[in-house]
Amino acid sequence: MNSVVFSHVTKTYGDKTILNDISLEINQGEFVTMIGRSGCGKTTLLKLVNGLVTPDSGSILVNGKDLKETDKVQLRRTIGYSIQNVGLFPHMTIEANIAYVPSISSMPGWDKTERKEKAAALLTAVGLERDLLDRYPHSLSGGQKQRVGIARALAASPSILLMDEPFGAVDEITREQLQDQILKIHEERKITILFVTHDIAEALKLGTKTLVLNDGRIEQYDTPDRILDSPQTPFVRELIEKSRNFSVRV
Amino acid sequence: MELISSILGLFKDRGAWFASLLLSHIALAFSAIILAGIIGLALGIVISEKQRFAPVIMGVCNVLYTIPSISLLGILIPFTGIGNKTAVIAMTIYGVMPMVRNTYAGLTGVDPDILEAAKGMGSTESQMLFRIKLPLAAGVILAGIRNMVVMIIAVTGIASFVGAGGLGVAIYRGITIYNPAMTAAGSILIALLAIISDFLLGKLEKYFRKRGS
Ligand SMILES: Nc1ncnc2c1ncn2[C@@H]1O[C@H](COP(=O)(O)OP(=O)(O)OP(=O)(O)O)[C@@H](O)[C@H]1O
Ligand SMILES: [Mg+2]
Repeated sequence: MNSVVFSHVTKTYGDKTILNDISLEINQGEFVTMIGRSGCGKTTLLKLVNGLVTPDSGSILVNGKDLKETDKVQLRRTIGYSIQNVGLFPHMTIEANIAYVPSISSMPGWDKTERKEKAAALLTAVGLERDLLDRYPHSLSGGQKQRVGIARALAASPSILLMDEPFGAVDEITREQLQDQILKIHEERKITILFVTHDIAEALKLGTKTLVLNDGRIEQYDTPDRILDSPQTPFVRELIEKSRNFSVRV
Repeated sequence: MELISSILGLFKDRGAWFASLLLSHIALAFSAIILAGIIGLALGIVISEKQRFAPVIMGVCNVLYTIPSISLLGILIPFTGIGNKTAVIAMTIYGVMPMVRNTYAGLTGVDPDILEAAKGMGSTESQMLFRIKLPLAAGVILAGIRNMVVMIIAVTGIASFVGAGGLGVAIYRGITIYNPAMTAAGSILIALLAIISDFLLGKLEKYFRKRGS
């Protein structure tokens, strides 16, 4: 089944066309990595999926339902979202941050006592210690915040996870750990992931499919090995030139 | 020195009278603080959610704020008569401005990334307001409350000019019977009340600001 379908989606801001006639099908359980120059519309594309941005024309289906006929608030509670700048709530403990979606949607199984255990389990899943639960975001490092952001996005067991450059603020080694953790989460939970990155090596390592965006259009949407073996456009060819010697998910 | 000793003498001889004035001062100021707090908070929330109303409401509040207190009291007399009611209305009008201004500044100053995360995770408008914006604006709003409280306590000092109670009675009587010590005694109590309130609210504000950072 298709998790997300874009048909002929166009988005403009003022007289600038950000996304131009995008058509795209993402299967349930796919891990789509999205790459392209800064400002090419990656964040905009993610926000179209959870209705933070509305297209000018074209239609978007999420889990088979047209977004035009979907209650956005309910929809967003079923889509995990970790934003580009993390956006943890500074006045809430890490535990309360993680439990935010279950709490606003009064989700069963998240009573006071269960909440702590569930939040702790999510922290473990992203490689953090449970003693962070009672701390506040300002006392965490950049990398820890990003992990908490991912844990928070996973809390309500979403079927789709949108991740906007989630591994921006970390060093290479931590980045590799995070990559392995997200791969493990993807395998265990079988969720659909849309993952934005600036790093072609990361895109090819993590994705079951990689989407290359340029100038508001899709340059290529393919499996990482096909992107490497047969780049369809000069832009894609140039992009992968530098990354020949990196490993690829198969 | 003579003034100080006669002030102390007054407190000793007429302690009960000053105490009752102090109590009625607190009661008067407190009514206006509660009213201005509620009205100012509500208006501040409205204009930060519906920004197109902001210029009008802020404009009106600013104009009202510039009317000298003594003439505002005078303007109100034909409508509301003399006494505590008029005083409370006038002080409420004054108190609303800092509340509206700070509530608006606090609510619209929340980091857009935080708002986007909250919205993107499926918060309703009211959840955004009560769980995210208001708690994060609490420090700035408390600064407005502090401002308002100190001002209202001070302005209540002239409420006796329209026949209201409070420590202004001592100030006014001191002027009319030419007893500077009595005027000073009333003023000192007002100042003390204002300083203590400011100090306590300052502590609270600090707590919220720290938490919101
Ligand atoms: N609300 C908005 N109003 C006007 N222009 C916008 C708005 N949001 C985004 N844009 C513009 O749309 C373009 C695409 O933005 P977007 O955030 O999707 O880029 P991006 O690919 O995520 O970039 P980056 O890699 O730097 O995060 C940019 O030129 C940006 O300035
Ligand atoms: Mg972006």
